Amino acid sequence: MIKANNITICYRMSHDKIQSIKEYLVALIKHKLRYEEFRALENVSFEIKKGEVVGIVGNNGAGKSTLLKVISGILKPTKGNVELRGNVVPMLELGSGFDYDLTGRENIFLNGAILGYSESFLKSKYNEIVEFSELGEFIDIPVRNYSSGMIMRLAFSIASMVSPDILIVDEILAVGDAAFQEKSYARMTELMSHGTTVLLVSHNIEQIRRLCDRVIWLDHGHVVAIGDTQSVCDQYAQSNK
Amino acid sequence: MKNKAIRISAVVLAVYLVLGALFYPIAGESLHFTADSTETVSSKAALGEFTQGDLIQQSFLCEFDDLQTLTLLVGTMARKNTDVIKVELTDKYGTVRYSATLDTSTMKDNSEYTVTLDPMIEDVKGQYFTLSLTSLYGTKGNSVTFYYGNSVDTGRVDVPVEIEDTEALYLNGVRMLDDENNLCGLCLKIGGINRHWFGPAYWYIYAGVGVLLLLCLIYLVRCRSKGKSNTILGVVYSLKRYNFLIRQLVARDFKTKYKRSVLGMLWSFLNPLLTMSIQYVVFSTLFKSSIENFVIYLLSGIVCFNFFNEATNMCLMSIVGNATLINKVYVPKYIYPFSRTLSSGINLLLSLVPLFIMMLITQTWPTKAILLLPFVLLMLFMLSYGVGLILATMMVFFRDTQFLWGICSMLLMYLTPVFYPETIIPSQFMTVYKLNPLYHVLRFIRSILIDGVSLEPKAYLYCILLCGIPFLVGVLIFRKNQDKFVLNI
Repeated sequence: MIKANNITICYRMSHDKIQSIKEYLVALIKHKLRYEEFRALENVSFEIKKGEVVGIVGNNGAGKSTLLKVISGILKPTKGNVELRGNVVPMLELGSGFDYDLTGRENIFLNGAILGYSESFLKSKYNEIVEFSELGEFIDIPVRNYSSGMIMRLAFSIASMVSPDILIVDEILAVGDAAFQEKSYARMTELMSHGTTVLLVSHNIEQIRRLCDRVIWLDHGHVVAIGDTQSVCDQYAQSNK
Repeated sequence: MKNKAIRISAVVLAVYLVLGALFYPIAGESLHFTADSTETVSSKAALGEFTQGDLIQQSFLCEFDDLQTLTLLVGTMARKNTDVIKVELTDKYGTVRYSATLDTSTMKDNSEYTVTLDPMIEDVKGQYFTLSLTSLYGTKGNSVTFYYGNSVDTGRVDVPVEIEDTEALYLNGVRMLDDENNLCGLCLKIGGINRHWFGPAYWYIYAGVGVLLLLCLIYLVRCRSKGKSNTILGVVYSLKRYNFLIRQLVARDFKTKYKRSVLGMLWSFLNPLLTMSIQYVVFSTLFKSSIENFVIYLLSGIVCFNFFNEATNMCLMSIVGNATLINKVYVPKYIYPFSRTLSSGINLLLSLVPLFIMMLITQTWPTKAILLLPFVLLMLFMLSYGVGLILATMMVFFRDTQFLWGICSMLLMYLTPVFYPETIIPSQFMTVYKLNPLYHVLRFIRSILIDGVSLEPKAYLYCILLCGIPFLVGVLIFRKNQDKFVLNI
């Protein structure tokens, strides 16, 4: 289960991004150190029960990705807190932990470790990962020689080889060629169906309607509506017309 | 679960007991006392033939708890003499504390002659003594001479010193002056012993710390069984939990470092050796370094400083360079600099191999003191990690840090006796100079490797404090700021 209590994320945006001591001092002397507060999320509260699949909809800049980051622990809320039970696996961006000088095999272990898998788990799942990625003998050459499709396939295979309690998905990841896309889509839906709690962000409203039990509609950091999938989706679609 | 915690605690306690008990014989007598001697003035001139009835008087301040040896620079005029010299040491009340006769036939020309006080004079720190030398039978053609001067050798040049009135040299009651009417002193080294309270108290401290550790462990086990969390448990848990990730990251650093080079890991050996060779040639021929066993002196300095340099520079980039990961996956952020320091540490261990090989080649045989090496390396590791944490944090907010640190680390290299002897530093700057933790680390490691002995207890304290404080500061700064990293990278 996930329980979010009054999450607020506050960025301090200075007008010109200061990145060096000199710029900082100059700005300080000129009294130009002005910050503008930007609230990416404001007082967001909700509760998700175990096994629910919850969709998050909203226009660009509504705070969807920020919310996912808060729940997966990457961002600490300025105010409020998140309570959750179970291990969280974020599938935010594939392959961000790859080292391009290492071979596919070495990257499976490195990336797996970054995603929080245990050594024994990775060893037992290793063959399954290689098989799913369809890389075959390419697994032993450095990733820098892979095609982008191969990289995505490997990354997806590693990331999806889990049985998390809470799965966080930023857009359904359908990668590779048509055949692999179908396969990965099937894998995602399978992952979501085994009593896993899922938080799903998508711009594809049809996908949300099909997969989710409930929907949260965010706009400019505020929760506009939480509730039954069809009604919230209808409202959201209505507002966009 | 509880049994396991108790078992681990028992292991920790046992390790402490064994290491603590082993430490005492390994550190040896250096825990009890340190033998040391003062520096002599450089010889400027000889007194001339020292014949019957001549009297030399030289007062000095004893800087040691116990006075043990007096070393004089003598000249025998390149011949065998049969004169006998009477030595007397009187304290400030005029009481004779030591007297003996010296057989000049055993003296060698232009070399040091040591008088060992037997028994030594105890508990005289801060007291003035007067050394009197009288020739009993000396005649022209059968006598020795003594050297005096008023400057000190700083390695390359002699620097004049002001001789105090109280420490002036008298020949037959007349003060010796040089050509410019400055006072002079006898070329005299005073050797003595400083006793430490730590040695005799060691077993009490050992027991005390043991009891504290036991209480600590009991507290931790109780915390654990009650499900309460605290900092130490948190660190243990996360090290256990992320142990696999840390190993993977270290392996990654190591694999990618040499991945596309032909010689690969061999560079870890070659790098310090080649640096050492260049600096050896430069400093032993161009600058005429007078350091004993310069090869090991230089190599140990280079190995340690290279580690510090590499580790801090890797840490510096560890947060900024992993920006994509930090933005996408939650991993405790301290792991990035930690794994970097760890992989530099493995590199350090590898570069110890050529150091040991050079020790064998130069016949610097290791003694039991080499078992103290893990202590020094641990201190160096803590220091580098601490500084690395500070730099990694600063780097997130100010990208100038990398350039600033480039300059600072170069400055630090010159402030550390890597390739020069510490004696060239003017004594008035020594207090500031000693604030550099690397100075203490190098002093320690050289004492272990080259002299084969442990240093005095105070040196441990300096090492622990000067390496521990940057470590703690680093941890605190990093912890306080780590939540802001995501917003700034």
